[in-house]
Amino acid sequence: MNICMITWEYPPRIVGGIARHCSGLAGALAKLGHSVHIVTLDFPGAPSYEEIEGVRIYRTPIELGHPNFIVWTLIFNHFIEKRVAMLSRDVKFDILHAHDWLVAPASIASKHYLRLPLVSTIHSTEVGRSHGLHNPDSYLIDGVEWWLTYESKRIIVTSNAMKREVEDHFHLPSEKIDIIPNAIDASKYNIPVDRGNVKRRFGIDPSERIVLFVGRLVPQKGVEYLIMAAPKIVERHPEARIVIVGDGWSKDYLLSLAASTGCQHKITFLGFISDQDLIEIMLSSDVLVVPSIYEPFGIVALEGMAAGIPIVASNTGGLAEIIEHDRTGFLAYKENPDSIAWGVNRILSDPGYASWLVQNAKRKIREVYSWDAVARRTIETYERALRE
Amino acid sequence: MPNKTPIPDEIYLLCILHNVGATSPERALTFEEILRWTAMEPPKAEQNLNKLVESRYVEVKEVLGARKYFITVDGIRKVLSMYS
Repeated sequence: MNICMITWEYPPRIVGGIARHCSGLAGALAKLGHSVHIVTLDFPGAPSYEEIEGVRIYRTPIELGHPNFIVWTLIFNHFIEKRVAMLSRDVKFDILHAHDWLVAPASIASKHYLRLPLVSTIHSTEVGRSHGLHNPDSYLIDGVEWWLTYESKRIIVTSNAMKREVEDHFHLPSEKIDIIPNAIDASKYNIPVDRGNVKRRFGIDPSERIVLFVGRLVPQKGVEYLIMAAPKIVERHPEARIVIVGDGWSKDYLLSLAASTGCQHKITFLGFISDQDLIEIMLSSDVLVVPSIYEPFGIVALEGMAAGIPIVASNTGGLAEIIEHDRTGFLAYKENPDSIAWGVNRILSDPGYASWLVQNAKRKIREVYSWDAVARRTIETYERALRE
Repeated sequence: MPNKTPIPDEIYLLCILHNVGATSPERALTFEEILRWTAMEPPKAEQNLNKLVESRYVEVKEVLGARKYFITVDGIRKVLSMYS
């Protein structure tokens, strides 16, 4: 099958989970013998065309700009659409696959002029990310999301929670939606690391135990609740250090919040780090906290499970489906620092409990969340879209 | 998201630099060009640019005596964190 995947995010342009999802899925589809073409946006230092493990990646420069975000997205969609049109002269695509509203205009236009079925993965919704629709831009994005679901032959979501959200909010027929979870390449975490050296490299004392957060520093990720939990964690476990990996526009607020807790000296902000560093810091951590208040899936939880770190996650969205409480992780109440502290302290205090969670989590990763399985299910969705 | 904290001014400026395409040395903008795009008061724009340079989200290069500004890879990621 000739697959044209359209996404605004693809490595090294990594923002959230979409880039990792697209590269994992594209690689697995290529391994199954399909021809995968990724049309995406350019990124400093990345070539405009490259082939990685059978996946062909076309990075499109945006030749015009505008200060307004919505106008900017419409402009880059034009350039993506042009790139798909040019490619279609050489490649006879069978199917188009769009990822999220940001590429909706280009994907929908391509569907009509190429007369191909369009499959779309809805990774999250504006109404979910924003806890409602509060301004004209949000209303427009919500409308574009609806438009994309309407124009698509089939919709893929990554969790039951997202299926309910998409079905209820966009009034979609249930039969049009397939749930295909995210996945992870667990083999990346099978590397030896010297935990002491890794900690020293990041300015952490080797005797300290790392309570890790990984993600964008934006309100929906709930980092503030972990920071508010810090005093209760440090009081019980003075050897604990809260390590926050990632960047985002809320960083200054989070820094000031950390200063107000009285244990700022126990909270380290590492900023954005490379994939390799991320794997090493995960393998050197003692607990991973995923305190999101909105999380359609939560791929970082899979990364933690594969790395063998016990997880404390909010009981919300996709996280509540990935984590089985007291079996593959600890589910904390959403937006509740006390509950987060309780989970972290239990894991740090009870090595037997921590080890039980890790063993169960690793087994679940092997059985459910492999890219090969996800790629095969995605092909089934493509085939249904082609048949219908 | 109904934010508990407003988006800081310098992040707003960073977003504009990103959206107008000042994402590489070849497409760097002068201070005057930035003022035209952002409609910010010059002292405020200068203060915010200095903050962004200090945080390494923006870099400055000298071209024929003029200072030109473009956003770095970390700056791009910072902006994209708002949209993803």
